[in-house]
Amino acid sequence: MKLLDMTLKYGNATHDYPFSPYAVPEGFRGKPEYEYDLCIGCTACAVACPSNAMNVELNEAKDKLVWEFDCGRCIYCGRCDEVCPTGAIRLGQNFETAVRFNKEDLIETGELELEHCLKCNKAFTTKKLIAYCVQNFLKVGWTQEVIDEKTKYIQTCPECKKHDAAGLITDYKGARR
Amino acid sequence: MSKTYIVPSDINELNTLEDKLQLLKDIKRSFSVYRIDCGSCNGCEIEIFASITPMWDPERFGFKLVANPRHADILLCTGPLTRHMYYPLLRAYEAAPDPKIVIAYGACGCTGGIFHDSYSTWGGIDKVIPVDVWLPGCPPSPATTIFGLATAIGVLEQNLKRVDHKDGGVKPPVIEESFFGNTLFERDIVSKTKVLMGYLHGRILYKKYVDAVKKSTDIYNPVKVKYELIEAIKNESDPRYKECMQIIHNDVYLKHLKTYKSIDDTNPALSFTKEEMDEIYG
Repeated sequence: MKLLDMTLKYGNATHDYPFSPYAVPEGFRGKPEYEYDLCIGCTACAVACPSNAMNVELNEAKDKLVWEFDCGRCIYCGRCDEVCPTGAIRLGQNFETAVRFNKEDLIETGELELEHCLKCNKAFTTKKLIAYCVQNFLKVGWTQEVIDEKTKYIQTCPECKKHDAAGLITDYKGARR
Repeated sequence: MSKTYIVPSDINELNTLEDKLQLLKDIKRSFSVYRIDCGSCNGCEIEIFASITPMWDPERFGFKLVANPRHADILLCTGPLTRHMYYPLLRAYEAAPDPKIVIAYGACGCTGGIFHDSYSTWGGIDKVIPVDVWLPGCPPSPATTIFGLATAIGVLEQNLKRVDHKDGGVKPPVIEESFFGNTLFERDIVSKTKVLMGYLHGRILYKKYVDAVKKSTDIYNPVKVKYELIEAIKNESDPRYKECMQIIHNDVYLKHLKTYKSIDDTNPALSFTKEEMDEIYG
C-alpha cells in the first residue's frame, strides 16, 4: 500500500500518446506552417534553407513562380522562420508528419504572379514583392520624387541595371569629351 | 549513380498493395521491426531507442525490435543510404519474409535530407527499394516515431495531404503603421533584437520593448521613455531581457530620436549608463 501511495503521489510518468493528445514542450520546432496570403515570393527562405527543402522555381509554362516545400527533406532548423520578412513561414507545433504509400503528400506548393521588367519585359520577380516594397517606401518618410525614382529602379531586372550602369559610365565619358 | 537495383520478380509478386494490407491486418497487435542503419548519423537510432523506453512504451500496440531481418515484418531504414550500405541493405531487404513493410525513417531516409546531393549517398531509401511509409524529422521525436509506427500499421490515419495554393492575387500583406512615424525605427529594432538574442527570443524582446515604449505618454521624450523602460525592467525577471532593453534604448532609440530633435545621447538623464546596466546583476 505504501508503494501505491508513492506512485499516486508522483503521478503518471508515461505518455498515453496515440490514444490521447500529446502537448509538445515550449520552443518545440515542428513542421513549418506556410501562410500563402502572407507570402511575397522574396525567396529568402529558399536561400536560407540548408537542405534545399524549400525551392523557388518557375513553373513549366514559365508564367508563374512556384514556391515548393518538401517536408521529407526539412531538418527543422528554423532558418526559414528566421529570415521570412512577413511571417509567412513559422515553425508550428505539428509533429505528426508521417505519410503512407504516397510521398507526394509531404509536398506543399504555392504559385505567385510574376513581375516583368520595365525595360526588357523579362520576368524577374513577383508582383507581390514589388508591391510590398512600394508600400514600404511610403512609410519611410521619403519625398515623392525619391519614391518614384526608387520604384522605377526596383521594377528593372538586375541584367538591365547592369547594362544601365555601363551606359551611364559611357555617357559620362562622352560628355567630358 | 548509374547502378540501380531492380526488385526480383518473385519478391515483387509477393509485395503488392493487397498483400501488404493483408499483412497489416494479420500483424495488427504484434509486429517485429528490424532496424537497418544505412549510414545514419546515429541521431535517428538514439530517437528510436528513446521511443522504445517505458516512457513511450510502443509495446502497447505490439512493437518489438528484433535482431534479424528474417524475423521482421517491418524494416526501419535510417540514413541517406551511403554507397557502402547499398549491398547490406539489399541483403536485409531480400532476407526479410514477404510481404514486408519498409519505413524510411528520418529526413535522410525519406529524401536524403541534408545529404541529398552528396556524392557518396543515394539520397533516400526509396531510390533503391520500394518504400511504404515515410517518416520525416531530423531526427523524428519519439512522439513522431510513435505516430509513424501507428500510421504504418493502420492504427492512425495520416494527417498530411498535398497542398497546392493557387491564385493568391497580387495584393501584398499590409504593413502595420509605425508608432514612431517611421518604419525604419521598427526595422532597426528588429535587426538589433536579432543580433542580441536571436530570432526566437528576439521576437519576445521586441514585443517587450515596444510595449514599454508605447506606455509612455510622449514617445519623442527620452526622459519619459526611459522612465517607462525602468518600470518595465523592474518587472522583468530575466536579466537578459533587462540588459538588452537598455542596449536597444541607447543604440537604436536615441539614434533615431536625433533625426527629430537635437539631444545629447551621452546625457545620463536620457541614456542608460554603465552603472545602471551593472545594477541588474546586483
